[in-house]
Amino acid sequence: MTAKPPLPDADWEPLRGFWAGAAAGELRIPRCTACGVFCWYPRERCPHCAATAFAWTPTSARGTLFSWAVVRRALYEPFAPLVPYATGLVALAEDPAVRIVTRLVDCEPSELRVDMPVHAVFRPLAFPGGAAPVPAPFFTPTR
Amino acid sequence: MQDWGAATPLDDVSGAVALVGVGEADHSGASGRSAVEIGAQAVERALADAGLEPDQVDGILYRSGIGPQFDEHAFRAHFGTRRELFVSHDGGAMTWAATAPYVAAQAIRGGKASVLVNVFSVDWASRRGQMAGGPGVFHAQERMKASLELPFGWFPQPVYFATIARRHMHEYGTTEAQLGAIAVACRRHANGHPTAVLRDKPLSLDGYLARPMLVDPLRVEDCCLISDGGAAFVMTDPERAADLRKPPVRVLGVGEGRSETGTFWSQQRAFTTTPQVFSAPAAYAMAGMTAADVDVLATYDPFTIVALMQLEDMGFCAKGEGGAFAEGRRLHFDGGGLRRGLPLNTHGGLLSHAYVLGIAHVVELVRQLRGEAANQVAGARVGVYGGYTGATASTLVLARA
Repeated sequence: MTAKPPLPDADWEPLRGFWAGAAAGELRIPRCTACGVFCWYPRERCPHCAATAFAWTPTSARGTLFSWAVVRRALYEPFAPLVPYATGLVALAEDPAVRIVTRLVDCEPSELRVDMPVHAVFRPLAFPGGAAPVPAPFFTPTR
Repeated sequence: MQDWGAATPLDDVSGAVALVGVGEADHSGASGRSAVEIGAQAVERALADAGLEPDQVDGILYRSGIGPQFDEHAFRAHFGTRRELFVSHDGGAMTWAATAPYVAAQAIRGGKASVLVNVFSVDWASRRGQMAGGPGVFHAQERMKASLELPFGWFPQPVYFATIARRHMHEYGTTEAQLGAIAVACRRHANGHPTAVLRDKPLSLDGYLARPMLVDPLRVEDCCLISDGGAAFVMTDPERAADLRKPPVRVLGVGEGRSETGTFWSQQRAFTTTPQVFSAPAAYAMAGMTAADVDVLATYDPFTIVALMQLEDMGFCAKGEGGAFAEGRRLHFDGGGLRRGLPLNTHGGLLSHAYVLGIAHVVELVRQLRGEAANQVAGARVGVYGGYTGATASTLVLARA
């Protein structure tokens, strides 16, 4: 089976604010309007205070590299042209419990260190033969 | 404080059910067999092992939603019986290989069934080409993952667990060679086991370290096989069990724990811990035992790091010491000459025996406790299975009657 290019649906309601933020060059994360806690991934109730209203809130788009993996052999067809690539988790500066899944760009995998400072760069996410590119947050080491 | 998940409250079923028959289907790579055919072979062999006829079975457990299974309809068609069966979908492999005996004990207590068979089979080696990312297809269908993880290449499972392994290395100093010690122990066990897919492929630690990275810091040898295969086990009450062909193996404890973030590994607060920290203590408490009483261990090992984390989370060593614990030959069936080893996955596990998602782990423990295992642990009296899905973990404490 030829896997479909895994482009996100930027119109899917639970994540619409995330992709709208990326299109505007911002990393927006839902924040509980009652207690102010960042809630990631989006959910119906705030795990801290059980309120149900959230606001997509711009962040610094900075954080630390929580961990990562270097994919040396493609396990999923759409990523074969990118191999080797580094993908992992960024702990958000405002609240390290929020981890953003990302691909690391503009660096060699050998430069990466756990807990190093990183920041978002917004690039079009595209795959050969895929639909229109979607602006998305990639991360790069803060030098 | 462990506040990122919880144990499932369970009734005490200690001593209420016994495992009396086990059977493995043929394990292989792509074979063209269907999961239902494979399941039928496993159940036939489990019933023969127990010395029971198909029409003595009045309950069947399997897992729905993971592909076609040898279900009650297949059972009746295959064995030519019209008998009504108690049916539970809370059986099969993964965590359910541990909780199926709990379901069986409750069914026996409630008078709903007296002889139950739990079965699981896969034909994923044959169907691999139709599954995006192999078994990752189940995660690709999750819309939050499809939106926030797949587009960035954080997929499938080897990527998740390479990321977890690197964080574990950072936090605790765990090394590649320590992960390799687990791969080597499992391979040695497979080399001595007649049904293991990798029985003819030896692996040394030097050989492991010389292999290239697949998803750094994991090598192919850190990852489970993709197989066609399956297994089944038969359960009944202890009185009936005592009259059957083989020595019964009693269920002394069952536990189940869950992570509040489910299979969203990226967001699990205790990133390098499994829900065994909730499950194992509950199972030991039901059994009236501790980790120190365990003679042989079988843990779900989709990746070496998952087995390593469970060594810690099930209390065999302190958190962070799993790497040092696994070194050398401590996990080998003969304890590597140590007076107190902890034999792990003595059939070869998901890494080297077959990827049948843990049900063969339970079969192996039963054989160990009967004293009929291929890689027999001398004097094994207590065996423990650690099941895992990511979102949940489970623990089954078994003992020789």
